[in-house]
Amino acid sequence: MKQTLMTWMLTALVAAMPLTGCAGLPAADQPQQTVSGDLVGGTFSAEEVPAYTDEAYVAVHDNVPYFTEGDLTTDSYESYSPLDALGRCGVAMASVGQDIMPTEDRGSISQVKPSGWQTVKYDIVDGKYLYNRCHLLGYQLTGENANEENLITGTRYLNIEGMLPFENMVADYVQETDNHVLYRVTPVFTDTNLVADGVLMEGWSVEDGGEGVCFCVYAYNVQPGITINYATGDSWLSEEGTPAEEPAEEEPQGTAYVLNTNSMKFHYPDCSSAEDISPENRQEYTGTREDLVAQGYSPCGRCKP
Amino acid sequence: MTVLVCLDDKNGMQFNGRRQSRDRVVSAHMLEDSGGVLYVSPRSVPLFPPETALAVTENVLEDTPEDGVCFVETPPLGPAAPRIHRLIVYRWNRVYPTDAALDLQLDHWTLRERTEFPGSSHPKITREVYEP
Repeated sequence: MKQTLMTWMLTALVAAMPLTGCAGLPAADQPQQTVSGDLVGGTFSAEEVPAYTDEAYVAVHDNVPYFTEGDLTTDSYESYSPLDALGRCGVAMASVGQDIMPTEDRGSISQVKPSGWQTVKYDIVDGKYLYNRCHLLGYQLTGENANEENLITGTRYLNIEGMLPFENMVADYVQETDNHVLYRVTPVFTDTNLVADGVLMEGWSVEDGGEGVCFCVYAYNVQPGITINYATGDSWLSEEGTPAEEPAEEEPQGTAYVLNTNSMKFHYPDCSSAEDISPENRQEYTGTREDLVAQGYSPCGRCKP
Repeated sequence: MTVLVCLDDKNGMQFNGRRQSRDRVVSAHMLEDSGGVLYVSPRSVPLFPPETALAVTENVLEDTPEDGVCFVETPPLGPAAPRIHRLIVYRWNRVYPTDAALDLQLDHWTLRERTEFPGSSHPKITREVYEP
């Protein structure tokens, strides 16, 4: 089931329940390093987020989501916000259950150009490309592919170090328990910036009252060693101190693939088989499928590019 | 004693007081490792079938006998290190959020065995056996 959030505010009613600790856990097992509790609602303010230092994400609101009891449901759904006047994404929310998780590998999303999108490469970035099209609701959770309301311009660091770990945790929990996780990702923009400063990520396992999954974190949309102008998406090496005069390169034509020059297979960049290619056999390629086939490559049987 | 742990790619064990992941195939392997009774904390019980032979205790590392096998989800393990004669690590081969990691230096241990198998929700689980 999909629905559109016409309006949504992080301001929520404060539930009557006091902060009494994680539901379902014996007192002796309460986590010592964080303070968790029943859902109490609340309001997120970006001002409570410390400046980035060296961690991809930071816990906020004592690592307890801003959900209220009224948000909880054991019916699966996903919802997205319409783009605003600047073409920016808003909050995306889901009750993640097995019935809405994908059954097929992800397709291409290169046709979507999120706000602030630029194609720019740096040698210091894993995979070269500074920006990824970051799913707010990860594909592995809801199977939502090339939806412009679900894709933001995010750094590789945000995508892999900041968001993916939480998506993995939620996906595993749902797959192993057949329970639901209420999951919400809110991109945080300053003023009229086209690139988000970061994302607020919230998760809560419904059937066990947060015993399995409970987090509320802010993940930074940064890339170590690179400075970003969030108003435009322009970027430059931090050590150079000034922005590049022109984008590093024009938008390449075609689709991004990863080639295995040994097996002569080609994959989508996020295909799990592509992760296993040894560095000496791995090559990144942007172009058309037809050209690759003409060069003797065949599509991966798993991601079916 | 033999201690079983699950780790992500950064040797993380937990985030916000909760396990990073779970996999029923890994749970089955742990029961095979135990050879009988597996010592666990109360919060680990739901990972195993109801009829499983478990010894449930709040103080797993202290209560597991010298020849026993326990599953530990929460660090620290360091204080019990002198009693650990075998450490079995199940690696998820993924990165999860973490704020509590294994506090043993595995490069100070001897890796005796490494095997791989598919999990139920993980394409590849790596099982490593270490000795002091």
